[in-house]
Amino acid sequence: MKNLLAWLLWLWISAVIVGAFYYAPLAMGFLGESSRILFFHVPMAWASFLGFIAAAVWSIRYLRSRNPAHDRAAAAAIELGLLFGVLATVTGAVWARIMWGAYWNWDPRQTSILISLLFYGAYLALRGAIDDQDTRGRLSAAYAILGIVVTPFLFWIVPRITYSLHPEPVINAEGKIEMESRMQHVLYASGLGFAALFFWMHDLACRVAALRERKPAP
Amino acid sequence: MWTPASTWAAEALAVFVKEWRCEFRTRYALNTLGLFAFTTLVVVSVNLGPLGVSTAQGTAVLPVLLWLILLFSVAAGLPRTFVQEEESQTAVALRLAATPSALFCGKLLYSLTLVFALAALVTPVFAAMMNLTVESPGLLAGALAAGGYGLAAGSTLVAAIIAQARSKGTLFAVLSFPVLLPLLLLAVEVTRNAVLGDAAGVALPQLLLYDASVTIAGLMLFPAVWNP
Amino acid sequence: MVTGGIGWVVAVNLIIWTGLFLYMLRLGKRLREMEKEK
Repeated sequence: MKNLLAWLLWLWISAVIVGAFYYAPLAMGFLGESSRILFFHVPMAWASFLGFIAAAVWSIRYLRSRNPAHDRAAAAAIELGLLFGVLATVTGAVWARIMWGAYWNWDPRQTSILISLLFYGAYLALRGAIDDQDTRGRLSAAYAILGIVVTPFLFWIVPRITYSLHPEPVINAEGKIEMESRMQHVLYASGLGFAALFFWMHDLACRVAALRERKPAP
Repeated sequence: MWTPASTWAAEALAVFVKEWRCEFRTRYALNTLGLFAFTTLVVVSVNLGPLGVSTAQGTAVLPVLLWLILLFSVAAGLPRTFVQEEESQTAVALRLAATPSALFCGKLLYSLTLVFALAALVTPVFAAMMNLTVESPGLLAGALAAGGYGLAAGSTLVAAIIAQARSKGTLFAVLSFPVLLPLLLLAVEVTRNAVLGDAAGVALPQLLLYDASVTIAGLMLFPAVWNP
Repeated sequence: MVTGGIGWVVAVNLIIWTGLFLYMLRLGKRLREMEKEK
């Protein structure tokens, strides 16, 4: 059954890749074919944020249950959040180079994702600085939850008070979506695909961590 | 039926008084914060003063520098409040004596008074040395109060977290900066508005929202952080 | 020129994606074996 789902995901993302280049139209105001990067850059950022949320959820569950498996799940989610975050930042920088001439512009969105990368790194640094398993789980869970309280300010509030080079977010100021429908199809399909990819990778990461500890996975 | 010997408020107040009593014995935080702020101030004004910062550049740069001075001073002197407990092993007694929320509030009150004192001292000196004219001093006071509160609240919680880990000095900086950066961005924005004499804009309510969020998060998370 | 160029990008993307996919399948299989022998 799992294999079937995996092959479905392969088909899905392959379709997204093909659709991103042949089905979706080019976006207005973008240079050449560069708008196609959107269908990967944006879902990667979504997946990164998904990692943060998942880590917060697992952290809350850990604080309630004190089950080490939940702590491992939170850490795995943060690691994946970092991975997708780095990918999103790099793809964003490549696109920024094409569009605005420089890899880094201190655009508020770029700054926000950089700060969130600092968050992931800080979480992992904290884990590295504590030897006792219970203390490590407890404190990193607290930090992950603190992080999720603070990140909405980073992503939604601060970028909107300062001028941005970034294109309008997908849901613009009026709450309407102003993207061509075919682009939306590919973007959301890609988002779903990356989310599924995240959960699959998370499952694998948790199982690896569990085997390392020689304890059963959740 | 067992009832606690003291009320919650009495406990928080007792912690607050204890913090200041210990502080006056060693004057560690006051010295560290004061020295750090003063040194940074001198460095900044010695470098920028002779260049003559124009008004336009001033409004862009000076609010940022002010908040950086406050941030780094706090990072240098504040974590000690929890680290000290672990190092002198008074933490155990504290865990027995006070309820976590009362303890958190006592420590928070202490951090607040420290940060506000620092801001009250640094800002006029900074404005004088940098020839900065502030159009709305009222809004500036608000920015310092709201921003200072966020600085104190976030730092107190992070200090409690790192006190139980290794390499506490660097770890505090690494952990607190992502948490405090949104606060700083908002505080700088409001400070800039105060300097220019603009209306508070959308940044001030968001700053207050940040303060509320961090306070609630602190109150809810501190018991888990503090008690094993 | 455009279709040729785009075609290459699509092909490279698909190859990388399929490679990643096969790796994750293999990893999953190996994990399952290790979990069974516990």
